[in-house]
Formats: sequence, structure tokens, C-alpha cells
Amino acid sequence: MSPNPGLLKLDLAIRGVSLDQSLRNRRDLFHEPSVRGPIARCLELVLPGEVLVSAPADEAFTADSPYRLTQDAKGFYLETDGERSEVGIVAPPSYYRKKTRAGTPMWRVGSSYGPYIAINPASRCAFSARGSHCRFCDVSNQGVDRTEPISVEDVVETVRAAFADGAIEFVYLHIGYIEGDDSGVQFIEPYVRAIKRHFDTLVAVQLQPPREDRWIDHLYAIGVDAVSYSIQIHDEHLLAEMCAGRVEQVGRQRYYDALAHAASIFPNGTVWSDLIIGLEPAESTQSGIDTLVAMGVLPVLSVFRPLSDIDLRDHPMPSIEDVAPVFTHLFKRVLEAGINMNWVRDLSFAVTPFEARFFADSDTPIPSGLGPLYRSKLGNMAVRNLSKLRRRLRVRQVSDSYGSSNL
Amino acid sequence: MSQPNNFVVDTRPLWILVLQRMKQPVLLMIGVGLYVAVRTLLVATDLSPEGHRALAVFALCVFYWVFDVLPLMITSILAIILLPLTGVLPAKEAYALFGSEAVFFILGAFILAAAMMKSGLSGRLALVILSRFGHDPVALLRGIFILNATMSFFMSEHAVAAMTFPILVEITAALHLPASRANYGRSLFLAMAWGSTIGGVATLLGGARAPLALGILREVTGESYSFAEWAALNIPLTLSLSVAAWFILRTFFPIGTPDVSKAEQAVDEKLMKIGRMTLQERIIAVVMLGTIATWIFFGEHFGLANIALAAVVLLFALGAVEWRDVEGYVNWGLILMYGGAISLGSALHKSGAAEWLADHTISSWASGPVSVVLMITTAAVMLTEMMSNSAAVAILMPLSIAVAAQFDLDPKMMAPLVAVPAGLSFILPIGTPANAMAYSSGYLRVRDLILPGLLLHGIALVIFNCLVWFYWPLFGFKY
Repeated sequence: MSPNPGLLKLDLAIRGVSLDQSLRNRRDLFHEPSVRGPIARCLELVLPGEVLVSAPADEAFTADSPYRLTQDAKGFYLETDGERSEVGIVAPPSYYRKKTRAGTPMWRVGSSYGPYIAINPASRCAFSARGSHCRFCDVSNQGVDRTEPISVEDVVETVRAAFADGAIEFVYLHIGYIEGDDSGVQFIEPYVRAIKRHFDTLVAVQLQPPREDRWIDHLYAIGVDAVSYSIQIHDEHLLAEMCAGRVEQVGRQRYYDALAHAASIFPNGTVWSDLIIGLEPAESTQSGIDTLVAMGVLPVLSVFRPLSDIDLRDHPMPSIEDVAPVFTHLFKRVLEAGINMNWVRDLSFAVTPFEARFFADSDTPIPSGLGPLYRSKLGNMAVRNLSKLRRRLRVRQVSDSYGSSNL
Repeated sequence: MSQPNNFVVDTRPLWILVLQRMKQPVLLMIGVGLYVAVRTLLVATDLSPEGHRALAVFALCVFYWVFDVLPLMITSILAIILLPLTGVLPAKEAYALFGSEAVFFILGAFILAAAMMKSGLSGRLALVILSRFGHDPVALLRGIFILNATMSFFMSEHAVAAMTFPILVEITAALHLPASRANYGRSLFLAMAWGSTIGGVATLLGGARAPLALGILREVTGESYSFAEWAALNIPLTLSLSVAAWFILRTFFPIGTPDVSKAEQAVDEKLMKIGRMTLQERIIAVVMLGTIATWIFFGEHFGLANIALAAVVLLFALGAVEWRDVEGYVNWGLILMYGGAISLGSALHKSGAAEWLADHTISSWASGPVSVVLMITTAAVMLTEMMSNSAAVAILMPLSIAVAAQFDLDPKMMAPLVAVPAGLSFILPIGTPANAMAYSSGYLRVRDLILPGLLLHGIALVIFNCLVWFYWPLFGFKY
């Protein structure tokens, strides 16, 4: 019997995978992400059902994993309890070995995960600078070892190289917290504009909510196709305890208000918020899912991992039994709300609502879904062009109005 | 880096937005359909083939002007292209009509106004007047009304409103008037808009629609007006409408007794900032006064356009302005629009299309000269609220001149009969840029102006028609 890909993804994300002796020295299989590099060395595995997972491997805590990765002449296999399933491995793209014209190694500019390249062009999250970083954050303690932001040129060159490798389909820009009314919208604008100018691609952005909604409109107007303001923890008191910066600098309610506004501006299914599962009680996460879904926002669940470099390194890991009902709830609620699940997909670090279908109750109807269409070249092109058309219809420049009134 | 205020995201259902975006191509096609329909379906045995084709071009242009399908000037260029292509006029003749004296008069007037604005002379004049009159709220309001009305005698009413607008923004800010419920704020911006509009119909300088009407009149009949004649004909209307507008303003927007000392202070501070009158301003003031005097006393002898352009040359010769100073202030699009409109008006007349159209519209509906005048003035007022007043003139002038001949009316009277009511827009922001500016202040909503604006329109029509019948005969018009 083939394993449930959703359960398998979760278990692999939590417990990692041990490597067969023959694979121990295969450095070419490992992704060395620009930010997480020293923290968790991961293998990008493609599980049955085209489910992508970033599985920790060759780490101390993965030695006890019940999963073992092996290889023969035909391919790679995941072995557990005597059962064997064929899996794919997404090898690190060749652009990782290149440098930009300015001499920056491209792997430090952007990491590819599944169909997207993730780029954090900012130098440092202001929450960290203020000593109020999120306690589960694996980036803050490690810091980003650069004093200047990555240049727009470096970003464009890296994205071009990633596209040339055929490694990616879209671009995901994420920054921590940047102080100011716009929370980094103006910082990220030149990157978005440059990417849109050079490539026919979708751009997703993750940042902190701006103080005023007009900056969210601005983000959409400049070409951002999907946006995320991640609340991470729904429980008010736990959020204050875990993420002092988010509460003090932005405010919990502002996350929800900004998400609600973004959901009214961006296309259905393109506004998402991460919730970490395993830090707060399951009921609280489910309540967070309900709150987000009610405003048309897609919840994306990341399972908490007690990595060695984070403040919460001693926090217990959640068990599959604890988290599975939350995914069941997630899928059911998103399906009921009619939120498009096809935009936010193929995340190796988190479980999307579409992947949560593997946890659905037997009485929940599973939609046939347009997933394969979205993944196809034709579907991808249609999505890009529909996104552009929608923006052309919705966005007006104020100066155009002056022009039309002959002022 | 672009600013967030530059963008507005329209969250209405997408199908509405799609329909809205399809509006222009659909309207473009309807215009073409209208042209083809007039060419192929309209049976007019009493109309020459050239007239038939001219009528089709006119229908197309009217449709595009009314529904703003293309920018006004582009529709005019389309007319210029179509007239020779359809054989209505030889190309040489069609393009030569761009050289109408009226077009060059408008160009000269734009450049003179630009010199006044760029040098700061017009702004200084405004501040001086306001500092003299603005000691109490009513006096300040009256000062703004009179300032806008009188300055519109000498420069485009749009330019006057644009010049006064930032001063009023500062005054309302200094007075801390809340945008949502400040009658005084409403009154101030309305005094600016209505003052400019009412003053703008007094002379040939207040708006370019009067020179356009004169241009069409001259091309069709060879007749024209002197500067003084036009002003004498229309100043009584401006005076009586000013009084009416003032009472409507005070009645509909009671202002109480706000303390305007801060506004006075703001005006004084601005005056202090600009310092003494510069040599450049003095030169421009002298040339401007001389130009107006020459228009009044020697306009007929030298020609209005000649005087305007001579004044422009003099300003450049004296080094009072530079080309780059005025280039941005001249509305080149409007000049193109006027050239095309004059060509179309002339083509309609020469081909007999204007006469045919008059026969089948106003002439068939009107019972005599009184109803003709009433119909034309009402049509002009209604059209100008919904579209550019220049387009309203371009549409009505050729028709009105043809109607005049059929009712034994002097065709010369048709220029003010069309151009003056076409300048009287009191309600909608699209009527005139002065209204649009008043709305952009945030103090006014359309519903605030429906009743007072309609009342003022009614009074304007009554006064204007009375003047036509009882005052204009003094200038030799016989009915």
C-alpha cells in the first residue's frame, strides 16, 4: 500500500531522513540555502503525488529517523518498516556554482525550492536588530552575514541564471521587518519592478504589514502577484511571548487587518499567512485557520522544528497524532470557503491547504483540482497573463485621472 | 520611487471593469458605424454629395467629442484628415484653415497668460487684492469672487482658477476648516470656480471658446467682433450673473462668522515672501496693459491676433520671458483642436451640410427667432455641463449660423449666442477645469451643487435671453 504523501511529508519534515552509506558523501544532492545553510542541511524530495518536502538529512537528530534514503541504478528510494517507495530528488541547480558579475556567489542571492527561487535581499530583520526577534526564527540568531542589501543587479542576474537552468517558474521575495510606515514596500519595489521588467513571471512577496493599507494597494500596483503577512502564532499571549517584535512594532491586529485588506485587493488564493503548528495548542491553530479563512486568506502551516540554532531548541516537537487533525480542519475550511488552493503550492518547508487534502475525512469531497493545469506550461502562461490583465483592469494611476479631467 | 498615493486599486467586480475598458473600442466602432450609416442610409436628395459626406464626418466628430472617445484634439485631427480623404475639401484648403486668425489669437493669449503666471505677476495681483479685501469672512469671500471674475477678463479662466487654487488651499488650511462640514470652505472654492466662469465670458481672453466661435464665424461669413465690442456685449451679463451667483452662494452656504485673521496672516506671509515687484514683472505688466488698450482701441484696425503676437514678440525682445518659460503653459492640444473644428465648420457651410442640418433640426422645431435663441442657448448650456465647452462650440456654431440665415437673424450674433452660454458651467466637474479644481479641494460634492447650480443656470438663461432681446439691439442686431 502506498504511503499517504501528506503524512509522509509531515513525518519527514519533523524527523528527517537518514542516508544510506552510499549517499553520505553525495554533496551534489544537498541544498545549501543562502540563509539556512549552516542550520539545517536538507534534501529536496519529491514524494508520490508530486508532493515536495525539504527533509533534514545528515544531522544529529536525523540519525534516529525511521526513514532511510537509498539508491540503486534505477533511482532513489525511501525505506521504512520494510516498505520501499520510489522518490525523486531535486538536485541543486547549476546556478549555485556561478557568481554574479559583481562577484557574489549566486547561491547566496537566492535558493531554489521546487518551482520557485527564494530571495531575501535585505541585510537584516529589524526585529533582530532590536533584540525582539521571533524565538523560533532560524534566521535571526544566525543573522545574514552582510551589511548591505543585495543589489538589484545581482538579483536579476541570479534569477536569469535560475530560469536558464530551468530550475524555477516564479520568484519569491521575502524580507524580515524593515522599519517605517511601509514596512519595506519601498525597499522591495525596485526588485519587483526589475524582475517584472526582465522576466515574464509571477512574483510573490512576504514581508510585515505596513501601517497603512495604501501600501498594500501599492504593492499590488507595482506588480506583486501574491503576498504574505505571516502571523505565525494565533494565540495572543503566546505571540507576545514568542514574537515581541511583531506585537510591539506591528501589532497583532494589524496583521489581520492588513491580510483582510490584501485579500480584497489581490486575486483569490494569493494572500497567505503562515501559522506554525506545534507551538500553540491545536485548538488555537484551528481558531487561527478559521480567522484567516473567514477573511479570504489562505493559511499555510509549517511544522515547528527545534533546530539547534534557535532559542526554542529544547521545545518538544509535535507528534503526527497532534498535528494531523489540524490539517484535516485546514483542508475542510479552505474548501468550504472556496479559496483557490492552486496559487500557493509546492512549498517544501510548509504544508499548503492543497496538500492538506491527504488528511481529509473520508466524507470530505476532494475536488479534482486544477493543480496539474496550473503546473503545466500552458496553465502557467495563462495564469501569468490573467494576473497581468487583472492588474491592468484594477489599477489606476491618479495622474491619469488628472489628465482625463483636463486639469 | 513612486508614491503610494499614485495608485488606486479598483475593487469593483471584474466584469464591470472589463465592460468599462471595452467602452472606448465599442464607442470607436459606434462612431465608425454612425459615419457609415450617414453615408449609406441617410437619404437626402436636397443635399449635395459633398454635403452628405461632410455630414457623415460631422456626425462622427460630434459623437467622439460628446462621448470623449478620443482626446478632443485627436478628433479634430481626424476631421482634418477625413475632409480631404472624402473629397469634401481639397487637402490644401483643409489644412490652410489651421492658419485661421483665431488660432493665432489663442496662441498669443496663451503665451501672454503664461508670461504673467511664470513671472509671478498674476499671483502677486491675486495676493494684493486679497490682502486689501480679506479683513472679514464675507469680505474675503467677496474678494475671491471678484478677483477671479476680474482676472478672467484678462486671462484664461482656467489659468485664473489654477492660480487661485493653491492660495485657497493655504487659506483653508490656515483656518483649519474641516473638509466635510465647512460651508466657508465650500463657499471659498465655489467663489473661485463660479467667479472664474462668470468673468471668463466677459471678454475674448477669458476662454478660448470665444475665439473659436469667432474663427468659425469669420471662415463662414467673413464677419467678426472687435475686442471692445465683444466685451461691451457681454459685461452686463457678467455683472448681473455675479450678483445672482453671490446671493445664491450666500443663501445656500451660510458661513457664520469664522475668524479669518489666520487667512489674512497667510496671505501677508506669502506677500512678504515674494518681495518687491521685479523688473520682469513690471515689463510684463506694462506690455499687458498696452496690449489690452490696443485690443480695445485699435483691435479692428490691426487685428486681434496681430496685436497678441506683437505683444509676445515685444516680451521676448525685452527679455521678459524665455521660450522654455512659456512652452509648458501653452495648451497646444487646444490649438490643434481649434484648427480642426474651424476646418469642419467651414466644410459644413461650404458643402451646404450645415444648412441642410439646420433645416431638419432647429429650423423645423422652432416657431420663430425667440424659440431659436432659446433652443441654441439651452443646448449650449446643457452641452457644456457634459463636455468640453470648446467641443460644444464646435458642434453648435456651424449649425447656428445656418439657422440664422433661415430666420433672418444676423449670423454675427451666433458667435456670442453660442460661445457665451457654452462657457457657463456651474455644476459638474467635467464642465470646466475650474469646477474640477473646486471639487478636488474635497469641500464640495456634486449633490451640494445640483440645486444652486441649476438655479444659477436658470437665472443665467433668463438674463442672457433678456439681454439678447433688449440690450443687443443697441449693437445693431435686428430681429
